[in-house]
Amino acid sequence: MSNPYIPLPVEVIKIVTEVDTKDIKTFRLAFLRKEDEAAFTYLPGQFAELSVFGKGESPVGIASSPTQRGYLEFTVQKAGVVTTALHEMEVGTAMGVRGPLGNSWPIDYLAGRNVVIVGGGFAFTTLRSLLNYMIDEGNRARFGKITVIYGARTPGLLIYKDELAQWEKRADVELHVTVDKGDADWKGREGFVPTVCKEVAPSSENAITVICGPPIMIRFTLPVFFDLGFSKENIITSLEMRMKCGIGKCGRCNVGEKYVCKDGPVFSLAELDKLTKEY
Amino acid sequence: MEKRLIGKEALAGVAGELAGRMRVCAPLQAEDQVFFGVLAAGGKPLFDFANTRNAPKNFLFPRTETMLKYTRIPQGIVFAGEAGEGEETLLLGVRPCDARSFVLLDMLFDQEKYRDPYYIDKRAKTTVVSLACVRPPYTTCFCTSVGGAPVSAEGADILLTDLGEAYLAEFLTPKGETLRAAFGGTPAGEAEEKQKETLAAQAAEEIASKIPAREIKPILDTHFEDPFWDTIHRKCLACGTCTYLCPTCHCFDISDEVKRADGIRLRNWDSCMYPLFTKEASGHNPRPSQKERWRQRVMHKFRYYVDNFGAISCVGCGRCVMACPVNLDIRKVVADIAKI
Repeated sequence: MSNPYIPLPVEVIKIVTEVDTKDIKTFRLAFLRKEDEAAFTYLPGQFAELSVFGKGESPVGIASSPTQRGYLEFTVQKAGVVTTALHEMEVGTAMGVRGPLGNSWPIDYLAGRNVVIVGGGFAFTTLRSLLNYMIDEGNRARFGKITVIYGARTPGLLIYKDELAQWEKRADVELHVTVDKGDADWKGREGFVPTVCKEVAPSSENAITVICGPPIMIRFTLPVFFDLGFSKENIITSLEMRMKCGIGKCGRCNVGEKYVCKDGPVFSLAELDKLTKEY
Repeated sequence: MEKRLIGKEALAGVAGELAGRMRVCAPLQAEDQVFFGVLAAGGKPLFDFANTRNAPKNFLFPRTETMLKYTRIPQGIVFAGEAGEGEETLLLGVRPCDARSFVLLDMLFDQEKYRDPYYIDKRAKTTVVSLACVRPPYTTCFCTSVGGAPVSAEGADILLTDLGEAYLAEFLTPKGETLRAAFGGTPAGEAEEKQKETLAAQAAEEIASKIPAREIKPILDTHFEDPFWDTIHRKCLACGTCTYLCPTCHCFDISDEVKRADGIRLRNWDSCMYPLFTKEASGHNPRPSQKERWRQRVMHKFRYYVDNFGAISCVGCGRCVMACPVNLDIRKVVADIAKI
């Protein structure tokens, strides 16, 4: 019997400090065994348990796209014991990854439609996975128009800055980057994500929006999309809960009868409406 | 199915002899309490007892369990191996409520996707010998309200029923059948079967505590928000005793321990009654007070488990009722919900 609790050995091969506060880093991990790499098939929106031996595990959304082969990427904010240990790691360190876990962004449902990605702050990680997946050469034709609205509090808190610049240049992605408050060097847009969504006003015609961000952003963004005519089935988001096992056994991440780790983390607003409001 | 009559003295001898061949866990006297423990070879288990203080789930899902081992190498720490395998175990003298808890735990740990290898390995190597409650042991017993019965073979490989002079032993599964020779005895027939049935009906009748456990599901479905939840938790101390003694509670925590170069990852029982259970690193806690935690415990057992597996996650053993330091009684909670 395969053991879902056993992490796969990986090595940290690249670390990028994403923000000026230095508490968000992206870790690139390579599998130490070739067979694990082949077996680790995932879709954007899934997560994995990052395993720092001696400290424990932490569930983190996969920030790389399955179209990027040879490694996995995770963008991690320094918050608790495990993530603090991660942040102290250097390239060359061996650690573990357990996954992929959970469901994914509904790729087949998104196919053939226009997709509006809305992200706030550091919650852009699995959205980045989704975007890179959709714009991959082999996949781009499967999806309609792609609009991305991404915001952070300050320019220094925007993550994936190099990629933002690349996406900006693409004709097949409509990118709107905004900050709550700019600084002297900031030449881009200023304004909160919900406001920008209102200004950009993406059409709800054959469109789905995928939203991930802090609760306060989601709270004010949802009414904007309702006004634009998006149905609850076509507003998709991802939940976060404290997790341990990641496979629906340890009993702490349930929202009603659903376990966020195995039935989620991705839910449509229509699905969330049926669940208890406890997250 | 083979049925045999086994003398009372003979059964104790059988247990002691089996304990020399395999791990036998049975009710044992420990000062003024009865605990499930490992029987020494030649030892005599207790057959005349009410129920054990601890639930025997500990032998399938231990309170503390090593999941994996790892070792330090120059570039960090790497996986060194899985935990050792479980040993052949005989659980002797399990009350039918507790045997039924194994069936409920199977639903969770042995799902189609994501099977739990630690539990499944132990379960496969464990033979369950139930001891029917011909006289319901406690006034707090309420097995019949949640789908069980005092004389029941559910979850058992062998069922022992005290017929007065001897035990009727029913060998119910192939696993139980393999121990038939070891149990010895003489063939039993229809008369004994009839006697057992009479006793079973009497015992079920004697369970005085009846609660509307199966009627509250639709109420819970529509009353997640209700003033009722503002009241029940108030005297709760969040000690977690109810969940630790519960035969069906399955929540656990995973943590690491390191000594020099070697480390282990283990899982320990955890409890939804504890404030930290759902607290996130950000400080956010979706269940911020004891109100939400009590609601979770009730909802999990009487609503969510029914949604997910079609069964109430309570066997009516009454341990939580007896052990609660502030007399919070799940029977009263259920009865009160029925009145909402």
